This record gives sequence, structure tokens and C-alpha cells, in this order.
Amino acid sequence: MTSFGTIALPTRRNFFSLAGGLTAAGLLIAITAQPALAQDARSILKGAFDNWRANSSHAVVEMKVKRSNGTRSMTMESWTQGDSKALVRFTQPARDAGNATLQLGNSTYVFNPKLNQVIKLPASAMTQSWMGSDFSYNDLSRSQKVIDDYTHKLLSTKSAGGKKIYVIEAIPKRGKPIAWGKQILSVRSDGVLYSVEYFDQLGKRVRIMTADSIISLGGRPYPVVLTMKTDAKPGQYTRVTTKSASFDVTIPAYMFTKSNLQNPR
Amino acid sequence: MNTVKTFAPLAWRNLWRNPRRTVITLIVVSVGLWSVLFFNSFLTAWGEASKDATLSLLTGQGQIHAVGYLNDPNIEVLMPPPNAALTKALNAPQIKAWASRLQVPGVVVSEYKTLAVNILGVDPASERRVSAIPDKIVEGRYLNGADDDGVILGVSLVDRLKTGLGRRVILMSQNVDGSLSEQSFDVVGIYDSTKETEDFYVFTGLTTGQKFINVKDKIAQIVFTIPLDQDLEPTVADLAQAAPDLDVRSWKTLSLFLATTDSFMQSFIYIWLAVVFSLMAIGIVNTQLMAVFERTHEFGLLRALGMKPRQVLILVALESTFLIGFGVLLGMVLAALTIWSLYDGLDLSAFAEGLEMFQGGQVLFPQYDIGGFILFSLLIWLMGILVALWPARRAAKLSPVEAMRHAT
Repeated sequence: MTSFGTIALPTRRNFFSLAGGLTAAGLLIAITAQPALAQDARSILKGAFDNWRANSSHAVVEMKVKRSNGTRSMTMESWTQGDSKALVRFTQPARDAGNATLQLGNSTYVFNPKLNQVIKLPASAMTQSWMGSDFSYNDLSRSQKVIDDYTHKLLSTKSAGGKKIYVIEAIPKRGKPIAWGKQILSVRSDGVLYSVEYFDQLGKRVRIMTADSIISLGGRPYPVVLTMKTDAKPGQYTRVTTKSASFDVTIPAYMFTKSNLQNPR
Repeated sequence: MNTVKTFAPLAWRNLWRNPRRTVITLIVVSVGLWSVLFFNSFLTAWGEASKDATLSLLTGQGQIHAVGYLNDPNIEVLMPPPNAALTKALNAPQIKAWASRLQVPGVVVSEYKTLAVNILGVDPASERRVSAIPDKIVEGRYLNGADDDGVILGVSLVDRLKTGLGRRVILMSQNVDGSLSEQSFDVVGIYDSTKETEDFYVFTGLTTGQKFINVKDKIAQIVFTIPLDQDLEPTVADLAQAAPDLDVRSWKTLSLFLATTDSFMQSFIYIWLAVVFSLMAIGIVNTQLMAVFERTHEFGLLRALGMKPRQVLILVALESTFLIGFGVLLGMVLAALTIWSLYDGLDLSAFAEGLEMFQGGQVLFPQYDIGGFILFSLLIWLMGILVALWPARRAAKLSPVEAMRHAT
């Protein structure tokens, strides 16, 4: 069990940094997309993800985790490049500051200033639904899966706030290693992922992520407030709010290195 | 000898001069001895049953691994399937059954949870002969063949994963090139065992498992069982000779905890018996002391009539010999009857859930332990006689006048 023993290693704060940080980095970018031209379900989704891949970004994000015993709030700075490189570093509060996470392809590294050590998370830990937050690692590193490993069906179109919304059902392909029964994704006609619902194999909803506020940011429609709720924990949620963001910026290559993770320049 | 002949009828009559006292002492001695004897046999049976229950789950009586596997069970220390020499040794008559298994650490993922487990690839045909788990399926079915691509989970694991029969879970494990294998498996069966086992072991077909982590025909272990009445050590030695480059171990070194528990159980029984024994001894001593002190007046009278102190002692000793002797006999008969009445086994299945943590067998078969019967009975007999002598000696040494002044 040695290799899996490390699953439990990252502290609560590490998990937060991974969860909030990378999710904020990954999802916010993923959600920003150009208007879908093709009208079939797969193309609508793929359009959104293709756009995300080309982007680089630099953002300041606040994450709020609401639990029955109180609310925790953290601020982080994130950089992303394409779909495989992301760095997130916490800046607030003081006790969390310095915690950082680096994602390089399939590898995820965590840096904890108190340990002064970089830990590589085992791949199996990526599927963990971690303590504290309502996000899971899959939300950031496997977003592409919803296109490649699922079959898609356009369920309906509806309108909200003057915009058309496509409701797409995505069902995992037979034999793909996916535990979800299905996902229902709503994509706005201007290419913003409006909501994602995750269902178990009996058709019961497990959790839902919604874009609560979409405004123009960095020259594009952007969901600045995202909320993830787990149905089994009513009244609790994780909310990420983008304070500022710039897109298609040039990020130096040293940003996504392990040495920069440990000793920021 | 003559004295004994004279005093024996006297002692016998003395016993029945105070029938209530005699009956109380008889009851104390017989019930006390009964409890010691019965617990001895009950606890021994319990120890055996828990051992058998644990071994028959997965461990078997012994296992064969590649050298180093037990220190660090990972994919790099697997072994090839048994060669001709080992197969021949395994098929020898002193081995009841054997089975090959793949066993690797991994995780199981459902919609709700990701949990660390041990993934076992088994060949159902041979597995059925060495393990009780195939017969413990409570929902669905067991695996159909070594190439069955379904997965069997434990009841408790299913609950924790919030999954169920017919649904799909993802298994993940490291494969030979160091990367992560993940594959979707349908839950085809659910087994009911101890909670630890249910939480920790998931089963799939042997070849399915080998393909999953890409190890060709390699296996992690061979597990074997031997007939009940046979010695384990020579069998282990034979196998070790047939497979000199492999690590052959009996359950005693495989499952150190169980082996320790097993030997501890023996000590525990004696500690427990010592406690029961002392409590009972105190009861007997008390009754005997009271009985003798009560009779100080009577002993004084006997002395006044010309009996020597030594003769008084002999009289008391004879009385105790009869009294405790009958008590001991009665206790032995009671214990023997109790054990005999449980000949078909003592069914604990009504308490099965509560006893699960002890990994106990659900039916106990208490056995006669002749050595224990004789030892404990003799001890109690001797003790009963000895403790009566001390107050009797005191009473006998008092001057008759002093003694007779004692109110009774």
C-alpha cells in the first residue's frame, strides 16, 4: 500500500490549494469560449474546450468554502499555459500564503512552505474528492474527458437573460473508466459553460456547478463567480470568484518549473 | 490406617449431621469446578474457531510468494506460475487444495468516493477450494471464470462507495511501466465477511487482473490448505524444497498477528481460568473455614472425651475428602454433560454481528480436555482439604475447656 499511502499526505491546505487553485485556473479558462458555430452537441462542447486550449492566462481568484461550522476564504494567484501547464500560489490568508501547486501534463506537484518540500501527487490521488472542498482533481485535469470519453446529445435549448442556452447530456462511453452516470452541461450561445450537473449511475444528481455571474472580463464574457454544490451537503458550497484576469498574455517558461514552484522568482 | 477405618463412618455421619451446610459446600464446589472446566473447553473451542475462520477467508494454511513480496507487496516482485516441480509438490496428497492469485494495491472509485483497496485476481474454480469468500456472496454471483471481467466487492465497501450490484466502479493500479492503469468494472457480486476484509479486498478474474496491470501470466501468490488432522511444518518444508527460489511460509509466519493471537489465546485461557479458579477457591475456603470454626465447641467436646488433636485433624481431613471429593465428581459430571449436550456445536450466529470483530467462527465445538479435567479437579480437591486443616488444627489445639466455652 506504500504508493497509495501518500494519498493522505497532503494537508488540508494542500488540498485547498490544489482544488481551488487549479480549478479556478482550469475551469475559468475552460468555461470561456467563443460562440459555438456548429449546432450539434459535441461540437458545441468541443468548441468551448478548443478555445480554452489555446489560451494562456494570469488571474487573481478568491475561493470561499462554506461549511456548517463556518466559512473559509482564500486568495490565490494563478498562471496557465495551454491545457497542460498551470501554477497556483496562495497569497491570503497569511497561514495559507506560499502554498503552491504546479500541474505539468499528468503530473501534479504540491509545495508546502512549512515543510519546504515539493511532493508529487500519485496519479491515483487525482481522483480523490478531497476534504474541505466540493471540487475534485478530475475537475481540472480531466476536463477534456467530457468530450473524448462521452457520447453527447442535445437535450433542449432554452433562453435565459436574452441568451440561448444549449442543454447537453453527456453519457460515458462503454468501457471508459468513468464513474459518473452522466453529466448534463448547459452552454450559453456565446460559449460560456453555464452549469454542469453530475449524476450517479442511478440518475441521482451528485453535485452541480453553476456560473452565478457572467460579465465581460478581459474582453470576453466571463463567469466571474462559480459555485460548486454537493447535493448530499445542503447549505455547503465552494465558490470561486475571479477578482482580475488577463488572457493571452506571455508567460515566461520558468514559471512552470519545479524550482519556481519551490522558490518563486 | 486403623484410625481411618474407625473415623471414616464417623466423618460420613458428621457430614449429614448438618445437611444444609454440606449441600451448600457441595454446590459451591461443583458449580465452581463446572465453570472452570466448561470455560476451559469453551475458550479453547472459540480460539480454534476464530483461527479457522480467519484462515479460511483468504490466508489458507500457507502461501508461496516471490522473495521480497511480503516486505513490499508491489508489482515488481511478482512470480511466474508454478513450474513442473512445484506443481507436482502442490498436487501431492498432503495438500488439500491450492490456488494462484494476483494481488496488487490499488484504489476503487465510485461516483462518490475513492478508496484504497487490495485488488485480487482469482481463478474461481481453484479459489472456491481454498477460500470461504466465494460462498459468502449475498447479492449477485461469484466470478464465473479466470477471465470474468466483473468485480466482487464487500458489503461494507459497497456501502461506503454508495454503489451497488450492476453498477460500474473504476479500479486503478500501477502497471508494469510505472504508469497508472484504470479500467471500468461492473459490480457482479457482493460478499459478506468481516468488515476489515470487506473494506480491503476486491476480486476480479485472474487473467482479467493480469491484463489490467499488464503482467502477462505472473501471479503474486499461491495459497494452499491442508487436511485438518495433518501437520503443517513438513508440508511447508516439502514445498520449500520444490521451490527453493520462492518464499514458502505457513500461516504462523504469514499472519503473525493471528499466530500471536493463537498462542496468546492459550495463555489467556490460563489467566482466565486462574481468575475463575481463585474466585471459586475463595468461595470454597470461606465455606470450609466457617464450617470448621462453627464446630470449635464440638471439637472441644471430642477432645474432652479423649480424642487426640491428631485424631481430630484426621476426622476433619476425612470429612473434607468426602465432601470436596463428591463436589468435584459432581462438577466433572456437570461439565461433561454440558459439553456433551453441545456436541452438535454451539451456534453463535444470533450474535454474529456483534462478534464479527473477533473474527470468531459462528459455531463452536467445545471438546473434552481430559488433562484439564484431571488437573483442575485434583487441584480443587487438594485445596479444599488443606484449607479445612488449618482452622481444624487451631480448634484441636485449644484446651477442651476453652473450646467448649465457645458458643456455637
